Amino acid sequence: MPVIEVKDLHKTFKRQDGTKIEVLKGITTQIEKGEKIAVIGSSGSGKSTFLRCLNRMEEPTSGTINFKGENIVDPKCDINKVRQKVGMVFQHFNLFPHLTVRKNLTLSPVELKLMTQEEANVKAQELLARVGLADKIDEWPDRLSGGQKQRVAIARALAMNPDVLLFDEPTSALDPEMIGEVLDVMQELADSGMTMYLVTHEMGFAHKIANRILFIDGGVISEEGQPDEVFNHPKQPRTKEFLSKVLRH
Amino acid sequence: MKSKKGLGRGDTVLGIFALFLLYLLWSSGFFTAAAWSDFNRRFYQNFIKDNRYMMLVDGLKATIFMTSGATLIGVIVGLILSVIRVAYNGGAKIPVLNKFADAYITVLRGTPAMVQLLIWNFTIFASARDLNTQYIAILAFGLNSGAYVAEIFRGGIEAIDPGQMEAARSLGLSYSTSMKLVVLPQALRNVIPMLFNEFIALLKETSIAGYIGIDDLTRAGQNIQALTLEHSQPLVMVAIIYLVIVMLLSYLVRKLEQYLSRSKRR
Repeated sequence: MPVIEVKDLHKTFKRQDGTKIEVLKGITTQIEKGEKIAVIGSSGSGKSTFLRCLNRMEEPTSGTINFKGENIVDPKCDINKVRQKVGMVFQHFNLFPHLTVRKNLTLSPVELKLMTQEEANVKAQELLARVGLADKIDEWPDRLSGGQKQRVAIARALAMNPDVLLFDEPTSALDPEMIGEVLDVMQELADSGMTMYLVTHEMGFAHKIANRILFIDGGVISEEGQPDEVFNHPKQPRTKEFLSKVLRH
Repeated sequence: MKSKKGLGRGDTVLGIFALFLLYLLWSSGFFTAAAWSDFNRRFYQNFIKDNRYMMLVDGLKATIFMTSGATLIGVIVGLILSVIRVAYNGGAKIPVLNKFADAYITVLRGTPAMVQLLIWNFTIFASARDLNTQYIAILAFGLNSGAYVAEIFRGGIEAIDPGQMEAARSLGLSYSTSMKLVVLPQALRNVIPMLFNEFIALLKETSIAGYIGIDDLTRAGQNIQALTLEHSQPLVMVAIIYLVIVMLLSYLVRKLEQYLSRSKRR
């Protein structure tokens, strides 16, 4: 059974002036356990909106999203329970600046009574060591570099023992020299068998890490397949055009 | 950020002003022996004789009691109102509560505190004659302040990056837990200077409590005036006491701000 199964997902935003804009126009796909899926596409294509629908950061207008067999779009579904198992990493890190790194990692597991503070502390220590920041456990987020912040954010998401991790352009807000350290952590995660769903502009990394590429254009998946197929032998003209623009440099 | 050491421009201006004041006093004969003894005599009349300074002490107690009580009510009411409005704007289905909060803020901010105080005392609690008037004043000032505090909090909450709420929710925390543990602590830190200004305003606003017969600090000064027929010393003393309290509060809030911003220190 797939971890996440999406059927005919639509999302319409209402603008301030009352006009509506349909961002997602029927997306159907699934994520198997252990899969690493990279979503590419131009700005405004709906790729981030789609990712944000997967843990209902955005409310889909119609369609279903089954997470381990449960339709999370159903109003009766306890979305907080689902989100405990669907981790998310944001473009702008969104660490809690008023809490230390340790508290950032332990807040949710302790608050939700999944662990005691002591257990969570041990887990935090382990995870920080895993992302190479064991010495930063008592540091304040504002004293970390962008790359360090994003690695802490990844550790924070991992502290919940998620079944799948959603990455929303995790390196887009980073200085170029800090992208590598974050990608290394993600590569290690991928190697450990984590199910990952990644929206990115890092084509090289997408090629390397993903076992499937989704090219989203105009609110639909216009092409999908193995990285080699999509990057080297794209079928759709839009994919070719997009790749020629981003890969030229 | 101002430097903590050395004299700044403000200190120089203050120094020149003080020297100018001293010169004025000196040139008008303030420092002559006769003027001094007159000043001392009046000072004795106003504050020492019959322990009249106790009137000011009791007045100050009433002022502080009312301000603290009203502050407490103001913060609680303001917090509740602001969370209602923010939650409603964030999509919560609470139209009736939101309308209430809206109306509350409009009415309490749209009418003078003085009029509200009089209405509470002479209309709503008109028949409750054995109720301590100070409690009525606390209620009136507190509910009034709540309307202003609500807007301060709302601004503070809305200034927090929506990503903070999203991150907390993405970890499985509920809306209210996220609000309580992630958004509000940050919002509170940001609004402390504004809250503090509100409370200074409140401290000074309680000086109208005399209108419903409370012997607060201001009224105590007037009471001494009535006894000694002295017009300047009692009121200047009252002003000095207000000023000292306000400056003390300012100092404390600066310390608090420094403590709260420790995570930003580099």
